[in-house]
Order: sequence, then structure tokens, then C-alpha cells
Amino acid sequence: MAGILRDLLRYHAEFRIGAALIAVVLLLSVLASFSPYPPQDVYVVPPDVPPSLTYWFGTTSRGQDVFWQLTFAIRNTLLFGCTVALISRILALVIGLISGYKGGWIDRALMSVNDTFIVIPLLPILVLFYFVMRDRMSWLLLALIMACLGWAYDARLIRSVAMSLKSREFTQSSLFSGMSTREILVQEHLPYVMPIVFSTTMNNMVWSIGLEVTLAVLGFTDINTPTIGGMIYWANQHTAMVAGVWWWIAFPTIAVIMTFIGLFLLAVSMNDYIDPRSRLRSFGGAS
Amino acid sequence: MSDLLLDVCQVSKTFSRGGLLSGQRIAAVKDVSFQLDAGRPEIFAIIGESGSGKTTLSRMILNIETPTSGKLRFAGVDLATIRTGARRLAFMHKVQPIFQNPFESFNPLRRLDGYLFMTHRRFIAADWRGTPETAVDEALHKVGLSLKEVSRRYPHELSGGQLQRVAIARALLANPKLIVADEPVSMIDASLRISIVNLFKRLRDDLGISIIYVTHDLATAYYVSDRIMIMQQGSVVESGDARTVLKAPQHPYSRQLREAALLPNPQQAVL
Amino acid sequence: MPAETTQDYLPDEAQPILSVRDLRAHFRTDRFGVKRDVKAVDGISFAVRRGEIYGLAGESSSGKTTLIKTIAGAVRPPLEVVGGRVDFAFLPGYGGLHRAPAAEVARIRWRHLSYIMQGSMNVLNPVRRLRSAFVDFAYPHIGGSRKQFEREVVAHLARLKLDPSVLAAYPHELSGGMRQRATIALATICRPEVILADEPTTALDVVVQKEVLGMISGIRREIGSSVLLVTHDLGVHAHVTDRLGIMYAGRLIEEAATVEIFRNPLHPYTRHLISSLPRIGDDVPREGLEGAPPNLADPPPGCRFHPRCPLAMEVCRRQVPATLETAPAHRVACFAVNRSEEA
Repeated sequence: MAGILRDLLRYHAEFRIGAALIAVVLLLSVLASFSPYPPQDVYVVPPDVPPSLTYWFGTTSRGQDVFWQLTFAIRNTLLFGCTVALISRILALVIGLISGYKGGWIDRALMSVNDTFIVIPLLPILVLFYFVMRDRMSWLLLALIMACLGWAYDARLIRSVAMSLKSREFTQSSLFSGMSTREILVQEHLPYVMPIVFSTTMNNMVWSIGLEVTLAVLGFTDINTPTIGGMIYWANQHTAMVAGVWWWIAFPTIAVIMTFIGLFLLAVSMNDYIDPRSRLRSFGGAS
Repeated sequence: MSDLLLDVCQVSKTFSRGGLLSGQRIAAVKDVSFQLDAGRPEIFAIIGESGSGKTTLSRMILNIETPTSGKLRFAGVDLATIRTGARRLAFMHKVQPIFQNPFESFNPLRRLDGYLFMTHRRFIAADWRGTPETAVDEALHKVGLSLKEVSRRYPHELSGGQLQRVAIARALLANPKLIVADEPVSMIDASLRISIVNLFKRLRDDLGISIIYVTHDLATAYYVSDRIMIMQQGSVVESGDARTVLKAPQHPYSRQLREAALLPNPQQAVL
Repeated sequence: MPAETTQDYLPDEAQPILSVRDLRAHFRTDRFGVKRDVKAVDGISFAVRRGEIYGLAGESSSGKTTLIKTIAGAVRPPLEVVGGRVDFAFLPGYGGLHRAPAAEVARIRWRHLSYIMQGSMNVLNPVRRLRSAFVDFAYPHIGGSRKQFEREVVAHLARLKLDPSVLAAYPHELSGGMRQRATIALATICRPEVILADEPTTALDVVVQKEVLGMISGIRREIGSSVLLVTHDLGVHAHVTDRLGIMYAGRLIEEAATVEIFRNPLHPYTRHLISSLPRIGDDVPREGLEGAPPNLADPPPGCRFHPRCPLAMEVCRRQVPATLETAPAHRVACFAVNRSEEA
């Protein structure tokens, strides 16, 4: 693993840039632990102060330090994205691999469920959930709901790879070596599926963060816990752009854009490295 | 009446393609029957071109496909009854495959020893007195390789001939009574082909393993098999002792195959 | 006394239609800091005369596919030509198709030089009828009115004993054998001087293979094209080719008339190869060759066959044997063989 990272850092410009961006973002989220102000408190500092040496990113109209708020915001947003990505990857993998390998009625049953989930319109459903659950809508619950909505498309991708792998002869060799279904899926097929899992993880994080920001900006989430979307929501509530308090919106936006671009670059460069086809090509010689 | 190792009885397989209304039915195998004796290990060649049904037949013998009609019995047990995990394992303990493309027989992303040790673990380990390494090394020695050469290697690091031998060693680790080899040498270089085919002879003579050798190559079939069965479009057109059938084929299709086989003898060039 | 020749050997006959001189083509990759230099074609010289079918036999990693790609001009990274030349009689001066300008290549492709490849589906567009393939490939060279062209195509198909109705068919409607024969008709309609055939019958059934090979022989009779036939199948060479070159690990180790190679193979590898082929009616037990072909990224020094050779001597490990004319019109690259001829 370390060897792979070293190679990537040395030879892949995209990986270097992506890693740098994500490093900055991670640093910010780590700094949240050192914040002198609790995140929920308001009016702890003079409001509407532009960026200066005392307040690096300025302060908000609610009297919060933008920099320290941002550290909490980016940390919560990242955690949220990771949670959604993790849960939905697991769902997509399990359902996709089993469906593709087993075939038959299991496949048909799972894919009808899958079809249902694919066509669900996301934003209306999420808004509906918010209105139904209102006060009980915590971040974890939102993450769970979004994970349940985010596995369907990738499960199909994984399923088609699993189906093609099933017909390859080494699957038969594994069967006749006495391997059980679970062993075959994990040891033989998973490596082929990993590139999809990886790139879709990044996609998924970008998607979930984006959706969260959207919901928050519209006010449909728990807006007291600071997140990027939450910050923008409050900024809008206080008409920050009109009032000239541009720093309140600019810095969260820049942070989230850095996150997106960093994740994208990482995904693209790791994918090229992990992809079995490019690895196999690097093995082969001439004949 | 001696015990039958394999009893293929009037087996047919039809595939249907297309939707509910406009389906096509393709008869891949039509009413094929033959038997292998348990007491007398032999190499039984199934010869045919593409579309002859030989691969479908071999897949049915391996219990990867089920016949549309007819019965296949291995050591008296009807293959249709072998569905559950434990019975399948017992079946695979006795019947093992060799595939055409040695590079496809193993996952290119995994090391080879994984398959060898897994086969040993699943089928033999309970009765084996020594370490897994000695068992694997012994099997590899039987095919002319050693654990040192193969250990920690990926498939692309070996040649086609070596890989096919590893595949045979893997099959041997299960201690089978029957090996079903589907075109095992057609993708191997000519200079390495004969050593694999000679290996089949040794497996039959020294280890008492019967081999079903599915191929389109008449010359190697002549060289190594005891009996042969020629198939065309799913049906058997001729069968019998290998030397007799190939030296003097009776059926017009067999004659056609024999004539079309390009033997390495330029004096007899007819083109 | 064997005639000692340089690598620039040319046959005595009139200028050959295709001559390859000391050709070297390597695959060079540099990925994540790992450099590999696979010497797929490493110093090959031979010549194809007009109107002859010249066979190149070799097993996997012998370099024969790379060789024919290089001759055909399909040289793209990571493949690089690092030395030598390929000269056609109708395209002098450039030293290889890959060095010639695009206009010249377009001029000679299909008209003077054409190809028959292993997968006919590589050439034929699956969503268009066969007729369109003829129009796309051959019409630019033949010209004239469309009606005239159509008549010529039908006449050509008739000459090759192909039913003209195949023109109206889509590729998937024809069997593999018919497709390959149609591809051959396509490759020969402009009456090219040289046809490069790479494993033309490998995927075909035995009976169909015979028909396709008969067609290739017929082409030489009817049109007088030379054919460079590359295949690992020695049975095919025995029945179709006039002269045969044996390739091993990127080098040409023996070359002679086909009959001569089968009757009197000289190089240890060739001798072993010929004797290991089983024949119907012959019950002699045969032996396989130990070891495996070398890895072309890291080949053994000196003669590349020496690790597996029963006649290997000290010099074989250090020097590359030159290709000498050991017997009349019979070239061999082996120290053991050439030395014993001297004695």
C-alpha cells in the first residue's frame, strides 16, 4: 500500500495535486478540535468583521469566527460524506455481487428492488422526509436515508462486472478448487470490482455532500450543527451578499470546491493505477 | 458386469434463444451415449469441429450444465441429484476439469499457489499426513514442475505450457478418478504440446486416472487415445478404437475430417 | 565449405519483391518508473521472391506477430523500430512503411500490398453489407464507373469460386469460413504484388481451413502475388508454402525450401519441433522440449536457444550465431551445425 502511494506521488501529477488539496481540507477539519469557541455558540466575537490578522477569515453576522466555524463545518460535512459513501458502497457491493453471480430468481428479485430505487426522485423524497420527521431528523438519520438512495446505480455496474466474471474460466477453476460462493466473490471477483467501487466512492461523496449542501441551504436539515450548507444557509438568512459580508459565503464555497476537485483527482489517478486492465497491460510484453 | 465410472445415456441438450414468442431452439447435443469402465482407466477422445456439441457435452459431464433429456451417471450416482454443497464437493473430488486457455484458467490478478493450496485444503487435507507444501510439491512434480518454480508467481509470469501443467497439477491435487480436458493443448505451442499429451498417458498408466480428451486435432487424438468418438452437429457419427477409426474411417464425415487434417508432410501436399 | 554471408544476404534471383534487412523492433515501456525493453524482433533478414509463398513459423513469443506488424507499417508506441530496413520493390527508398509519408502509404495499401488477418471481423464492418467493403477498399484504386467496378468484383469472385450473392450479405450472416474467403477476395481484387497473411486459418474448422488454403494457393496461380504467410501451424506450412523461415525468440534461426526443412532440419530447435509432431498412422513415441521460450524483456545472452539446446557449447552462451548458408539455399544460425559442416 505504501509502495503504491509512493509511486503515485512520484509519477502522477494529478494525484499530487489531489492529495495536496485533500490534505489542506483534512488539516482544516482536524483543527476543529483546537477551536477556542464551541461551534453552536453565537455572538462570541464582534460580527461582520472582514478578514484580518485577528480573524483570518473574518466573522459572520451572527458573531462567529468564520475560520473556526469552517473547521467544524468541513469536518461535519466530510464525516457525513464518508458515512453515506461507506454504507452505500457496502450495500451496492453486496447486492451487485450476489445478484450478478447467482443469477436466476435472486437476480430478478434484487434488480426489481434496484429499479424501484433508481427511479425515486431524490430531492422531493428528502424534503418529504424532512417535513415528516422534522425535529427527529439528525445527521445520522439523514446519512442513512441518503445511503439507501445512493446504492442503486452502482449496484448495477457491479452486477454487470460480476456477470461477465462468472462466465470466465477461472471462476470454474475456483469452483472446482472447492471454494464457496462467498470465497469466490471476495477473493476472485472483488479485485475486478474495486476500481468501480473506488471511483464511485468519490462520486458518491461528491454527490452526498452536494445534496447535503443543497438541503441545508434550503433549510431542510438540522441547521444548528455547523456544516458547509448550514453556513451558506445562515449567510443567506442574513443576506450576506447584499450586506457585503462576502467572506461568509466565499470561504465555505472555496473549501467545498477544493474538496470536490481533490476527491475527483484522487479518484481518477488511483483508478488508473488499480484498474485491472491497465495493470494487466503493464504485465504483458510482446509476442 | 463391471462398475461403470461414467455412464452417459441418451443425453440431449437443447438451448432456446430469443423471447417468448419468437424463440429459437438449438439442439447442441442429440442423443449421445457412451460408457467408461471403472476398472480400466483409459483416454477417451471426443472429436468434433465447432458446433459439434463436444464442449456442451463436456460441460454436462462436469455437471456445469444440465441435460434436457437423458441421464448422466458418475460412479452410479445420477448427476441430476447432485445439487447441494456437500454432494457437489464429493463429486468434484472425483471429477476435475482442464480448460482450453491456460491463461484464463487462473485469475490474472491472483497468485497461482492460492488455487493449489485451496484444492488441497478442501479435498485432501483431512487425510493427508504431511504438510500442505509437500502435497502441492508432489503434485507439481508429477507434472514436471516444482513448488519453488511456481510459488508466489502470477499467471502471466509463466508460459502457456507451464500454466497448463499447473492446471493439471491443481486437478491432480483433488485426487480425481476422471479428468475432463476440453481442448487442453490447442492454445499451447507445438513443441510443448507433446509433453502435455505424454503427461496424460502417464496419468492413465501410473495413476489410473481416466481422461476425456475433447479436441478437434486428429493427430494428437491418434497419438494418445484408446477410444474415440466423432461428433457432428450434436450427434455421434462414429466411435470405436482410436487406431482403427482414424486409420480407416468409415463414415463420410470422418473421412472428410481425416482428409482435411493437414499433416506435417509436404510430400503429400495436395493444395 | 559454407558460403559466409553478411546480414545483408539477398537471394541470387532477380530483385525480390520484399526484402527485410537486420530489422530490429522493440517494445519500450516506462510505467511508474519501471522501464521495460522487450526485444520482440532482434535482427531479422530475409527476402520474398516474386510469386512465391514464403512461410514464417514460430511459437508464442517468437516475435512473428510483431514482425508482420512492422512490415505492414503498423508501428505505434510502445512499439519502435530501432534498426534495419524493410524494402518493397514498389516502394524503394524509405526503409519501411512506417517511415513513408501518408500519401505513399495510401497509394500502395490494397493496390500493391494487402493483408489477410486472423479475425475477418477486424476488416469487415458488421453493420454494412459486404459490397460496401469492396467499394471502400478497392474502388479508389480501380476507378471507372460503378457498374464496371461491380462487374469486375463479380468476375473476381467467380475466379475464386465464390458466389456473388455474398456481396449482398452482412458479415454475421456468413459462416466464419465464408467470411474469411470473402476477406481474401477483398484483399486480392486489386491484384497486389504482396499479401501479408497473419494466421489466416487459425480460428477455422479443419475442413474450411483446407478450402481457404486452397484459395490462397489459387491466388498465387491466378494472379501471381507473393504471400508472406505467418502461422504457428506447421501442417499449414507443409501444404502451402514454398520456402519456410523458422523464428525463435525474435530471431530467424533457419530458412530453406519447405520440403527441405521437413526432410532435413538442421537447427536443433527445428529438428525437435518437426520430430515432436504426431502423425496419424505413426505410433512412434515422441518427446517434448524441456523449458520454455525465453522472456523477451530479459533474453539469455548469445544464442537465445542455448538454455534448452542439447548441443549447447561455451561459445553459444557468449556470442550470437550468424546466419550462414550451410547447404545450398539452406540458412542456419547455429554454431554447432555450422561448425560440423566445416569439419
